[in-house]
Amino acid sequence: MSNEVESVQVSDVTEVNQLSSSTAVESHAGSCDDEMPLQLLNEAVRSMPNHVVKALLSIGVCSRCVLRIFGTEDRIYCHPLLSQSMLRSILEEVAGFKSEGNFQICSICLGILQFCYCDDKETMVKMESPNDMALIIAQLVKKEGHQIDGFSLEVSVPQLILENESSLLSGMKMRYESEPWFQERLLSKCVSVKDVLKFAITKPLETLLDVKSSTAGCFRIRLTYTHKRASDNSVERNQGFKRRKIGKENGLHNVNDEPVITNKVCSDYSTDETICVTGRSSNLLQDQEPSEQLTVPIDKVSEPCQLVYLCYRTHIYLCGRYLKFSRNVSQTRWIIDEERMGEASVEEIIGSNILPMCQGDNYKFHAAGREDIDVRMLGSGRPFLLEIQNARQVPSEETVNEIESKINGLENKLVGVKNLKVVGSQGWTLMREGEAEKQKQYCALVWISRPLEDEDVQSISLVNDMKILQKTPIRVLHRRSPLEREKIIHWMKIERIAGSSQYFLLHLCTQAGTYIKEFVHGDLGRTQPSIGSILGCRAEILRLDVTDVKMDSF
Amino acid sequence: MSDTMVDQTHKPEETAVPNNLQQHHKQDEEQSVRENADCEDEELHKLLVPDITLLPLTPPSSVESNFASYFAPDFMKSGNDQYVYRHANGLCVVGLASTHSAFKDNGGVSAVDFNVGKSDRSGMKVTGKRKKNAQHFESNTALCKVCTNNDSYIVRCCVKGSLLEVNERLIKQPELLKSSADREGYIAIIIPKPADWLKAKASLLSLEDFKKLRALC
Repeated sequence: MSNEVESVQVSDVTEVNQLSSSTAVESHAGSCDDEMPLQLLNEAVRSMPNHVVKALLSIGVCSRCVLRIFGTEDRIYCHPLLSQSMLRSILEEVAGFKSEGNFQICSICLGILQFCYCDDKETMVKMESPNDMALIIAQLVKKEGHQIDGFSLEVSVPQLILENESSLLSGMKMRYESEPWFQERLLSKCVSVKDVLKFAITKPLETLLDVKSSTAGCFRIRLTYTHKRASDNSVERNQGFKRRKIGKENGLHNVNDEPVITNKVCSDYSTDETICVTGRSSNLLQDQEPSEQLTVPIDKVSEPCQLVYLCYRTHIYLCGRYLKFSRNVSQTRWIIDEERMGEASVEEIIGSNILPMCQGDNYKFHAAGREDIDVRMLGSGRPFLLEIQNARQVPSEETVNEIESKINGLENKLVGVKNLKVVGSQGWTLMREGEAEKQKQYCALVWISRPLEDEDVQSISLVNDMKILQKTPIRVLHRRSPLEREKIIHWMKIERIAGSSQYFLLHLCTQAGTYIKEFVHGDLGRTQPSIGSILGCRAEILRLDVTDVKMDSF
Repeated sequence: MSDTMVDQTHKPEETAVPNNLQQHHKQDEEQSVRENADCEDEELHKLLVPDITLLPLTPPSSVESNFASYFAPDFMKSGNDQYVYRHANGLCVVGLASTHSAFKDNGGVSAVDFNVGKSDRSGMKVTGKRKKNAQHFESNTALCKVCTNNDSYIVRCCVKGSLLEVNERLIKQPELLKSSADREGYIAIIIPKPADWLKAKASLLSLEDFKKLRALC
């Protein structure tokens, strides 16, 4: 195989990675700690059946895969002091196997456990120890400026690996089922590639980042391995067995040196030197009799996987209540035909002031209900939730208070904020819970076509949980279903305005979803009853303000 | 009218007696919380009350504020004056203008019948956001028949489009037509396609022009 292997030695790692000799002799004098891993490894290797190890090595399984398949205790092979070459030489020595010398990508783990991969610049990278990978991750975290107090590691590997592994285990079962060690050592003990990698990287990462790892971390570090061949061929595999022949016939030799005729499969991505171990698909396997050879239908690959490192923080949430003092500010960004409606939006004012303090990528604004652009939101304010994506730092209570003061102190005084604070993901449940109560309080400036009488004030104040029927208002009929909705007016109160007999303030508390404007002017009679019909005259609404959104949890 | 929300905190008064200090403070605290709340209410109230001097004697009606009014004089028949109120969202409310012949009759409107043409217009059910089952009508399609004591008149769409709803209340309360033809007495709601609206608009009159035509004040 003509692999170009570029060994990238990350030389900043101070504590480890000094053992790169190919002999099995420890090169460190003295301390117990250094000797232990080597000793344990030797013991582990000797406990494995030699002929099997030899067979596995010969079909291109890497040292760590060999060890993990047997479920070696303590995953000693992940120890940072035990380099690739050391593992290899120990295995080879014990099993009596001579490798060809060139580095080969493992046929099972596709190089993942050999810490070999292609980075985003398409360069092949090969590391001696998991510490090197941990270092790259740590540098990425620092570069992004993340401030964290924990992390959770996620690894994603190509499906091909699982298929290969499953083929290998089936093959081994078929071949070695009868042997005494089989029941004890195999099948149940095999450790997955993901687990091994995570285990290997977590400890050094914890040290470098000076925090602990956990499964429920808010800060995610994701390693995504993909393989061109894997994504290409997985479709074919699912479609079943396919035979294709190319010009050359490469007879392959198995462990016992007997030629096995293969069905060759060629992919556009493989180089000429690709050697197919055997033909494909499990159908072939079933047709074979248990024989002397270990035949496993996997393809060797010439390139390692591509690895993408990604680290991000899961969403953080800020909740609070907002007030809207302007009649020309929409709740969310509202743009029609490239023109903005209103002079600003609550969403943008709040979001743009909070996002930089969290150093996040993006924000999403969610509110418990909404009001029209020309309706002010006063009183206790409307509950909202601001979702910040990939915040580099979580703002402290002090910072949050500063943000609140800043927004409230803006010169144009369009929007105000109350009770701003950071919440966990339970913020969502709080919003939903509060909505169940759903009562809103309003104050409307109403004009009627005749002077207001005391009886009017009286009859309005007597209203208690009055049901009204509202046909979908004409102003929203273009985008909502034409329905008749029953709503409840809980109470109403008229407040006279000094100096006017036909204008007055109407305070009312209604069920959420009630169209207040239509309740006042009647919407051409499509809302029954309406203020106009109750008072027996024409009623118009000039201004509307929301004075209370009842939600205890916020 | 001030737009500022001012939180005024009343400081608890210092008392000279140390033993009662804590108790006083607590009482003062409670009092200041109450006063805070009262203060907020006051501030809120200030925001709500309008300046009477800035309000018009008679404000524009909801129709005037939200719709653009158009008129079709003598539509297909002399005396058949109809209006089309068009909302900014494209919906058109169709009805009889106050100068319609039907109102010149003594005795007013006796009945409104939507069962004209091929179907009963009051029977159709439009559902969903996409307004399924809405019938497509031409501008001269009949919407309903208005009967007075002496005569009957056919009301037409005036605008080509889909019929969203008819004013069923007119069936039971035909007097609505005379009392408020331009509001509760509307006939139907139609939604035209943008292109169809432009065509229809070309032959409609604005309120100004209509007033001039009919010599209204």
